[in-house]
Amino acid sequence: MADVAQPVGILKQIGLIAGLRWRMLHNNLRRKQSRLDLLGLIIVGLLAGAFVTVFCIALFASARNFVSSGRPTWLSLFFWAIFLWWQLFPIIVAGFGVSFEFRGLLRFPLSFGAFYILGLAYGLADFTGLAAVCWTISIILGAAAADLALLPALLLVAVLFILFNVALERLLGSWMERLLARRRTRELFFAGFILLMVSLQLLGPLLNRYGNSAEPWLVRALPYFAYFPASLAGRSAGAASAGNYGEFAIAAAGIGCYAVFFSGLLWLRFAAQYRGEELSETPATEKAIRNKAREESGVDALALLSPQVAAVVRKEIRYLLRNGFAALLLFLPPILVFALITQATLFRFSGAKNGVSPELFFPGLVAYIILILMAPAYNSFAYENTGVQTYFTAPLQFRNVFLGKNFVQVALVATELTLCIAAFCYRVGWPSAPIFTATLAAIIFTLVGQLSIANWSSLSFPRRLAFGQVHGQRQSGMAVLVAFGAQILLFGISSVVLGLGRWTGDRWLPAKAFALLAAAAVAGYVASLDALTSYAEKKKEKLIEALCR
Amino acid sequence: MTDLAIVTEKLTRRFGALTAVDNVDLRVTSGQFFGFLGPNGAGKSTTIKMLIGLLAPTSGRMQLLGLDFSSHSIEVKRQIGVVPEGMGLFERLTGTEYLRFVGRMYGLDHATTVRRTEELLEFMQLADRPKSMIADYSHGMQKKLALAAAVIHGPRILFLDEPFEGVDALAAGALKALLGRMTARGVTIFLTSHVLEIVERLCSHVGIIHQGRLVAQGSIQELRAGIAGEEGNKTTLEQIFLSIVGQSGAERTHIEELSWLT
Repeated sequence: MADVAQPVGILKQIGLIAGLRWRMLHNNLRRKQSRLDLLGLIIVGLLAGAFVTVFCIALFASARNFVSSGRPTWLSLFFWAIFLWWQLFPIIVAGFGVSFEFRGLLRFPLSFGAFYILGLAYGLADFTGLAAVCWTISIILGAAAADLALLPALLLVAVLFILFNVALERLLGSWMERLLARRRTRELFFAGFILLMVSLQLLGPLLNRYGNSAEPWLVRALPYFAYFPASLAGRSAGAASAGNYGEFAIAAAGIGCYAVFFSGLLWLRFAAQYRGEELSETPATEKAIRNKAREESGVDALALLSPQVAAVVRKEIRYLLRNGFAALLLFLPPILVFALITQATLFRFSGAKNGVSPELFFPGLVAYIILILMAPAYNSFAYENTGVQTYFTAPLQFRNVFLGKNFVQVALVATELTLCIAAFCYRVGWPSAPIFTATLAAIIFTLVGQLSIANWSSLSFPRRLAFGQVHGQRQSGMAVLVAFGAQILLFGISSVVLGLGRWTGDRWLPAKAFALLAAAAVAGYVASLDALTSYAEKKKEKLIEALCR
Repeated sequence: MTDLAIVTEKLTRRFGALTAVDNVDLRVTSGQFFGFLGPNGAGKSTTIKMLIGLLAPTSGRMQLLGLDFSSHSIEVKRQIGVVPEGMGLFERLTGTEYLRFVGRMYGLDHATTVRRTEELLEFMQLADRPKSMIADYSHGMQKKLALAAAVIHGPRILFLDEPFEGVDALAAGALKALLGRMTARGVTIFLTSHVLEIVERLCSHVGIIHQGRLVAQGSIQELRAGIAGEEGNKTTLEQIFLSIVGQSGAERTHIEELSWLT
């Protein structure tokens, strides 16, 4: 008679999974590719660590100052900043985030308790969570440095605040994945985003017109913020500092209630996943059928491209639109740009003396859009999975694959840039002709320059990413490093060229220099295509292995 | 002289210290239904990956349809169809979109691609789910779609890695009929499968690879004659395979040591 497996305790299961992850990391290091990946991650980690450390020091010093100067409730500001960071940053940088997919563990006889705890623990194991925890601890230590008696109370607040944030972040990510997995809700979601984008344009005029009269309303609304966890954390610090332990207990209990409430909701979400919830597309709408009819009419919108490049372009566009989360990220940069433009117009550009010059603001906005939108190009095969084999079994030069992918990338960046430039010109006005021309040439230089490097990076450091998921994504460390390096290099060159223009007083110098650089970048790109075709042949085994595993 | 579709000479592939494929000399004639057999880890998939261009040989030569693969890879690929290990599908396209994508990648014009896509979806009984993502297909449906993609351009050689795995009996019957018709029209089919009954029923010739070396090659009748002598006609392919490759798995695993399982 065969034995029956004995139930394993939660701690034992968690221990086993920690051991599993360690073995996976250890065994992965046998591959050169993985060692490079780890090296990249370490370098990126050091940079990120420096960023976190600087803020830790600043928060420590500020928290100590607030408490020692009798303003402990001002700590709320920091808790709000950490809250916003924890909830918004993962969405913006999910592609770069170091987090682990844990649902795959369900194939083991994992108890739901262990699954839930692991889910929460994994939420703390990404960059955003780690940074937020470090900053929260810095605040607590800073406050304790000013008044050591506060330490036990603030530690309790910190634990509750961290629990609340990690539960909410996991919950939002999970809901968003679910929402974006279905075509209908995805369309509604994107429609909402576009409306928001347009609405932001109205925010400026509205504030201009009604700003003064709205102020009292805003002041009256402020006290209601006091009931949110970040404010409650600050209040509890203030109450503990004043020795008012009754108020401290109420505030801490308030944060605890939030933590319990969102943990409960997360429990329900994880329970659905534990039961085997499968996220997938619902059947296409009528629109898809209409599209099909249009395609069959023989009108080919991409007739100017070669059939193979056109096929790659179509596939890329479909993948982009169906990968809800990646598509969502595309909407974020213009929204932020529109918000920045709105803010900028509120301060009414009146020259460099009173604020940021529009002559600098315009290229800055363009640089920001390119910086964000080009990031995925450095691992452009991330979502291909086994499909990547088609590129090598089909009778085509690999340059056609890159041409198709790059065409979509350029079209996307061009569309968003056009929108943002139009918004800028409408709200702020046209920049001067030399700056406008220089910026356009700089766009070509940085865009095309990055494409050559990004194509090489995609072949050299491929990493498979899960389609449509917010969590469980980790980019290749080296790809992230190459992306950072390339962007720093190209934007550094651009800054030097712009600086030279101002220094020499020759306003057309940047335009001329960028035109030359753009021509060189285009020539380099064209020359790189054949080299990349040979390189793809050389790297195909590693590429297929990385994506088909 | 016989028209050879696939010729390999001393084809070798090493992964570090491991020699996965060792000096393999294959000869497959045009129009043959060739079964490529071997135990797990014998080198079947490595060989097929080299033949379809997914893996570069460490040494040796490959000629497909008279063309040297290394110097004429594009021309060769234009004339072969492939169902690779893992099927090579873009899972977030619909079946229609995927077939059209593949058709265009192989250089078919738009109208031909559209027509063949519809015909193939109909034949593979996938036409009733035109809006579903491939990711939502069952394993068998994905297999059928991969096979449809492999034949959309009318290849002269078809490489199939475990084509019937997960395909239901009805569809398997239709697929076998299709493959039979293709070989009758001169298409060469190179197939790997663990189901020896299927290979015996479909294939006219087989090659057996063991520990990276090609240990037998020829028609099934030739192998029967070579291995079983006068009683050859009654010998099954499984018996031939086991006699060439070695003892059966059941004998080798020492079942008595797994008493806790039985």
